Amino acid sequence: MERYGVGFLDERKLVKRWSGPVPALISLALLLAVFYATWWIFQDPRGVMRMYTPYVGYMYCRWWLIMMIWMVYIFDFWPFRRSWLETAHPLLKGALLTAISVVILLALIKGFFEGLLGNFGLAYFNPEQLEKLPGVTSFFAVEYTSLAILMFAAIASWLSPAWVVALENAPWDKMTQPVRGLTILLVTFFLSTIVYFVTMHPHMGILYYPWQYFTSIAPPYWETFADTVSGNFHISWIMCCTVVVWLVETIWQRYPFTLIRNDWGRRAATFFGIIAIAVAVHFFLYFAQELMWGEAIRGTRRDAAPDWRWLHVGEMAIFFLVPALFLNFYCDNWPRKYSMPVNAAIRTAITLVAAVAIYIIYYKTSHLFLGTQKGFSHPQQFPMIPMIWLVNLMLVHHWFMDNWPAWKLETKTAAEIAAEHAAKAARLESERPTGRYGIGLGLGAAVGVALYFVVVQILPLAANAITIQ
Amino acid sequence: MTVLPDRRSFLKGATTGLGIGLVGAMGAYSYSSARKSRFPQAERKMTDIGVCKSVKVTNVSETSWFENGVLMGDIKGAGGLLVNQYDYNWPPFTNGKGLGKGSYKEGIERIKHLLPNRLEEAWEILAKDSVHPDNAGGFAAIIDVEEMDGKKHKFLLDSGWSYKWMDECFKREGVDKMLQNNEIEALLISHEHFDHYWGIPVTFKYNPNITVYIPEGFYPEGLQYLKDSGHKGKVITIKNGLYKYFPGMASYVFPIPIICRVYGEQSFYFNVAGKGLVSVTGCCHQGIVQFAETAIKEIKYENDTFHGIYGGLHISPFDDWDPKYDDLVFALRDYGFEKIGCNHCTGVICAKKFIAAGYPVVQGTARHRSKDVAYLGNGDIIAFA
Repeated sequence: MERYGVGFLDERKLVKRWSGPVPALISLALLLAVFYATWWIFQDPRGVMRMYTPYVGYMYCRWWLIMMIWMVYIFDFWPFRRSWLETAHPLLKGALLTAISVVILLALIKGFFEGLLGNFGLAYFNPEQLEKLPGVTSFFAVEYTSLAILMFAAIASWLSPAWVVALENAPWDKMTQPVRGLTILLVTFFLSTIVYFVTMHPHMGILYYPWQYFTSIAPPYWETFADTVSGNFHISWIMCCTVVVWLVETIWQRYPFTLIRNDWGRRAATFFGIIAIAVAVHFFLYFAQELMWGEAIRGTRRDAAPDWRWLHVGEMAIFFLVPALFLNFYCDNWPRKYSMPVNAAIRTAITLVAAVAIYIIYYKTSHLFLGTQKGFSHPQQFPMIPMIWLVNLMLVHHWFMDNWPAWKLETKTAAEIAAEHAAKAARLESERPTGRYGIGLGLGAAVGVALYFVVVQILPLAANAITIQ
Repeated sequence: MTVLPDRRSFLKGATTGLGIGLVGAMGAYSYSSARKSRFPQAERKMTDIGVCKSVKVTNVSETSWFENGVLMGDIKGAGGLLVNQYDYNWPPFTNGKGLGKGSYKEGIERIKHLLPNRLEEAWEILAKDSVHPDNAGGFAAIIDVEEMDGKKHKFLLDSGWSYKWMDECFKREGVDKMLQNNEIEALLISHEHFDHYWGIPVTFKYNPNITVYIPEGFYPEGLQYLKDSGHKGKVITIKNGLYKYFPGMASYVFPIPIICRVYGEQSFYFNVAGKGLVSVTGCCHQGIVQFAETAIKEIKYENDTFHGIYGGLHISPFDDWDPKYDDLVFALRDYGFEKIGCNHCTGVICAKKFIAAGYPVVQGTARHRSKDVAYLGNGDIIAFA
């Protein structure tokens, strides 16, 4: 039976063309070159298409990410045959699969959201319908529409991969493609719709005066808790969910959830564990801003405003995604020689340091070479766009092009694949808690809590010592 | 031999526990009310800026552009709000190459020889091939301040945008004569935006020797424009933070990024005897609540009261709306402003929301192309005394 790309990413053998860090460095240089060229063509406010308005550019960027997740994670490259995936030249694969992802992207945005939903359901999904409201200019009609569509994308970019990573495609994991993909697509899209209506629709509804009070719950239910009526509060934790899903999948290798033997116990723990970790990160990154910049003041603009602080939580989170994926895609998920938790801890530490470094470099320089707005908090300063754009290019390169040209794809034999699966199972078995694991766990937890308060103590001092801009 | 596996097992447990402890503490403590004990207690600096007797603001022009749709259409067509303002091909920086393809250098070369005295000719040249020249208006106001000893000061806050429109407004309010007679002691520039700054040749036409105060953060084109406009007087750059002009008047420069590639804004505090603090702003890109909070942290003012506001409050400049603007409408009540004179980039929707919320908005007369009485319009006056 044709397997399409089921298990393809795990089972493909990527062989370095050169030893040492050379392939990773070449890939990095290539990625950055393509990033800058495409940024100039599509996004840069000084460039050709100038989509960084910012919401138009963000909408396309965000949905393109999901298109690739759908094609690779949900549909397993269907309808492309396994033999083609294994033998076609990476340039051909990259060009064709990217082109398809863009066609689906345009069909979804222009056809589904703007054409169907915008014309026959909710006016704010179509700029032309929005413009009929007196006082709404063409520019803001497009921005509002893009905002609504991308908010949907933010939710989908968490739920779509979460169904694969956390729920392991269950209960449809035994189905073949495209039935499995279609089922998961419909289910995650349905769930995204529910989450959208209870998190983002009140934000969109409050955009219009005086209609807001009749089209949505306004002021929204989170107002007192979040200290803002803005939906950025939800953007924040949803962005954290998106990032945590990929941390769990890549540098954590689904540890510690993978230790749970019971299938549904493991799946539920992973799904809700991702949410719990994301919410913890969401609160912490907000608190970190309070420690560094002072308490938020409702009604202010920019970096003291609660709505911006929540948005910035999501922005900070996205800085973690780039180094985590790079470590996984181009550094063979280094290190691999220790136990799973130690490997994961080292990778997390590397990701953390790299994310902070990228954050500082970004805010020091992005206005010079990306055409973004100088400063942290201007509404037009949107680091999520360049970061996700870079992630998108990494996905094209890693998923569609097998890391070409610094790596080459070789086909594993059935015996090799079986041996790998056996080794993985044995490895997992060896990671199960034994002996003094419990004592270590308790002591480690105490140290973790202490470390948290050390960080809390250090953050205000660090903020005073480091000038980012 | 059994020690090694046990040590390894302990280490695995400890590493896992470290993560759990860290994430657990992050989740449990970071947004709890207990965290607030860690916020630094900011001490009020209570800097004394002195006291003045009165402040009066005459709105020369608040209509920076006449049609939002036209302006936003230009911005959309040129690539959005981050495009450098000198590149839009709006007058006076026009090279005839079309929307989004202008440049300061090419634009100024065509009119430099006509500045500042032959502005009608300059505008005629620009009007031919610039983008929507008739939509350009401008922001400017006259600020009259009286010190406690009776000494009077008159300032021009900003100089608008369109040479043609601003010259009409100056003549309507007698600003041309005030400049010629040296009654206005300085031109105060709030920020580098086109609608506040590009009309400077109109001021220099009537007084090229006037002292100009600009905030820190101007881009090279903006600094060059001062020279190319025929200015011969002093230019004083106000550094970020508090600056005292004379007893009762100070400004604060906020180092903030602003759309269309502009950086930094200067806004003004007046400490009116027996009344309280009066804030006068050009656009207030830092936000009116931030401006008020800065006053609380930095300066001492009468009765510890916010008496009044005048100016653009930069809430909904294009009559767009966003939930965060509602945060401001809700929160402004806590500051207890006694007299609110708003216009320009405040947005008509916002002014109406202020009125609906019961705030003491001083309404206007909607004359001289100002659109709504919810605003203090062109030619309207507000006094704080």
